[in-house]
Amino acid sequence: MALFGRRKRAASVARDRLFALSTAQVTLDTELGLKTAGVAAVIFKPMSSGDFVRAESDMQQLLEATSADTGTKIEQKTDSFGFQWFILRDPDIEDLVTGASTVASELSDAGFGPQLLAAAFKFDGGKDPVYFVYGFKTGSFWPFVPTGDGQSRDNAEELELKSKLEHELPIEPDLTKWLALYNAPI
Amino acid sequence: MKRKGYGRDPGLTLRMVFTSALLGLLYVTFAVILFSVLKVSLAPLIVIVAGLAFVQYYTSDKLALRAAGAKIVSREQLPQVYDIVERLAAMAELPMPRVALVDTDVPNAFATGRDPKHAVVAVTTGLLRRLDPQEIEGVLAHELTHVKNRDVRTMTLASFFAMLAALITRFAFYGSLFGGGNRNNNNGPPIWLILLIASYVTYAISFILIRTISRYREYAADRGSAIITGAPEYLMSALQKISSQMALIPQRDLREVQGMNAFFIIPTSVKQTTAEWFMDHPPLEKRLAALSEIAREMGRPV
Repeated sequence: MALFGRRKRAASVARDRLFALSTAQVTLDTELGLKTAGVAAVIFKPMSSGDFVRAESDMQQLLEATSADTGTKIEQKTDSFGFQWFILRDPDIEDLVTGASTVASELSDAGFGPQLLAAAFKFDGGKDPVYFVYGFKTGSFWPFVPTGDGQSRDNAEELELKSKLEHELPIEPDLTKWLALYNAPI
Repeated sequence: MKRKGYGRDPGLTLRMVFTSALLGLLYVTFAVILFSVLKVSLAPLIVIVAGLAFVQYYTSDKLALRAAGAKIVSREQLPQVYDIVERLAAMAELPMPRVALVDTDVPNAFATGRDPKHAVVAVTTGLLRRLDPQEIEGVLAHELTHVKNRDVRTMTLASFFAMLAALITRFAFYGSLFGGGNRNNNNGPPIWLILLIASYVTYAISFILIRTISRYREYAADRGSAIITGAPEYLMSALQKISSQMALIPQRDLREVQGMNAFFIIPTSVKQTTAEWFMDHPPLEKRLAALSEIAREMGRPV
């Protein structure tokens, strides 16, 4: 049981780090000219078990209730890899971060934390769209800048973002973990 | 003509010979201490050491391939690499080596095999994905020079006694725990202590010497690559690409990697072994400086 207790604590620490993105938005805007594209998503692997379906619909209901206040629009999509994208649309980055955090904590409180893959936050203002991907397992962010044509990404831009933001955001130090999210539905 | 081309750096050759001689001297001293302390007859000692060396010599290539997660591939699977290797092998007057592929995003390459007939040249998928064909050619020419110079044999031989010393260090340590008590009848220091110190010193010094030799072999392989391809600038840009931070960022999709979770252990272990490959390499700036010197010699300054 102790094992599960520890795991839960680790997960909540990881969720707290997610909020660093709302603090970093000032730097993103003033120094890098990046503004939220008003869209974010939590990506998870759905399961067919009844428990999971129940947890998912509970989570959906809670989100619908809270988004009535914030004005966040929610939507679900499945990608070609079979991952579920819980998409949040809101011009306010803080609402997006809170929403993503709620989705993640609802699923992991129901025991489906391992199904969580990542959260992605889209930013505009550069040559290409910038995604900040948050890994729930590592509790860290990494930048992902797809250049549009197929499976290519702008590594130079990504490293530039790392050097400018690493004091404000928990950026994943192991570059080999900066995996891509090509053709993201957001 | 070409055969002579590889060793045209007399300073490098001299340093290599000097370091190897130091290592040989160290090993002989070590053997003499072993021999006199253990007081065993020479014959069984030689048989054991030769046996160990034999096993290491004949299994080194399989071990290296397995440690890196490399799989031998056919011409149909990797025609572009086969074409380059075939052309380079012909130019270097080598038999066509086998080609292996390591499925990892980290761009790297290595050569193994005890002699040119048993040589294997391995490349990673990351290398093929990130480098241009001419750069790949420069890297493969570097690996083929390792084959040509019989570097696997040299390094296996060079590191064999270091491994033996490390082994003895461990045994001597256990000996001190279990057998130390009943050897107090002679006046000198206990045997295990002498063995421990001798092995430890041998290991430490040989470690430094082996790394030095390894770096010299790398310079030689860079030189060989420049001469085989006639275009050192491609190896230079390949080296810059491979060692830049960007090379670490994967091209792969998060969801794809997550989907094949079962295979996830292999890439991480490959990462560690490839990092070790890099450890014995000279610093990038020095390699680039040496290569641009070669480029100047060849009359094509970069």
